[in-house]
Amino acid sequence: MSDTPDFSDLVGDDLTPEEELELARVDSLLRSVPAPATEVPGSLTRRVERIGTTRPIWTRRRFAAAVALAATLAALFFGVGRWVGMGGGFNARASIVMTPGSSASQASGKIELGSRDESTGNWKMRVTVDGLPHLGGNDYYVLWLAKDGEYAGACGTFNVNGRTTVDLTASYDLSEYDDWVITRVGQNSPWLLSAEI
Amino acid sequence: MATAESDSRLIERVGRGDREAFEQLYKRFARPVFAMAVRQLGDNGRAEDAAQETFAAVWRSAKSYKAERGSASAWLYAVARHAIIDRARQKRENAAEVPDEADTRAGPAERAEESWLTWRVHSALELLPERERSVIELAYWSGLSQTEIASYLDVPLGTVKTRTRTGLARLAGLLEEVRT
Repeated sequence: MSDTPDFSDLVGDDLTPEEELELARVDSLLRSVPAPATEVPGSLTRRVERIGTTRPIWTRRRFAAAVALAATLAALFFGVGRWVGMGGGFNARASIVMTPGSSASQASGKIELGSRDESTGNWKMRVTVDGLPHLGGNDYYVLWLAKDGEYAGACGTFNVNGRTTVDLTASYDLSEYDDWVITRVGQNSPWLLSAEI
Repeated sequence: MATAESDSRLIERVGRGDREAFEQLYKRFARPVFAMAVRQLGDNGRAEDAAQETFAAVWRSAKSYKAERGSASAWLYAVARHAIIDRARQKRENAAEVPDEADTRAGPAERAEESWLTWRVHSALELLPERERSVIELAYWSGLSQTEIASYLDVPLGTVKTRTRTGLARLAGLLEEVRT
């Protein structure tokens, strides 16, 4: 920075040798780095303000309670259904709204959890997404579970065409995970939609 | 850095879902994150995307932060760097043209070193009182003389010199272990 005033112009000449040494070290550091950002764009601040504001209705504890209730209700409805000759179909026991990431700020998503198949341990899920582009070639989207921000288990793959609903299953103990995540296939793909479990 | 502990506490609070701590952390690190993204990505739009992804990742992952594994500043730097590299990789995958000039920049190790040093200095600047930060930024990066800064800020020249000196002394404490 040739335009920067001399060190002595900046700090004066009445420093003790120790002070001068310390301030000269900082002066040298400041001269060695580029200028900081003049300001942070207001649009960035507004975007960051939205992070985390879609509070998950389903905290882990509530989710576990809801799952237990859902299992009870599912067993009850299954029994009643059999008794009255009904059956099949998807009955949502819990609905989780997904939050869009910066790479898909216009997207929205919802995961509806159905009953757990006691014979297999699979949870039925109905996933609805909107605002994601249709993928061509061999690309597809993946719904997975994250633990500590890392991939921890797959729930299924899908492609979209406008607002799309797909039925998937998960065979995991969901209380062991932190987030539902939708990404495009591929390593280090950004989180497009996510929701805390 | 002297404030590492308070940064750590903020991240731990963010990990517990504390919105106010998240806003404080954003205020403290938004400029260093955005500046690093602009420098490495070269355009404001993608830098903004990377900065947003950085803070989204902080919000998601703060609960995994462990103070005993390293400083808060280093953790935030790593999160930001990851988001920026991710964004840069997307650009490379989409790029059709090949640069026709040789890359004369420093090697990866030197660039990483410079980037970390810049991050430390910029983060430390954010901790100065506004009146000291503004005179230091004007002195080092605006090309204005001390007299011109005094005129620009409409304060006496002596005040500019005092604020510059006080700010530099404060930075010396904040950057105690950093040497060029």
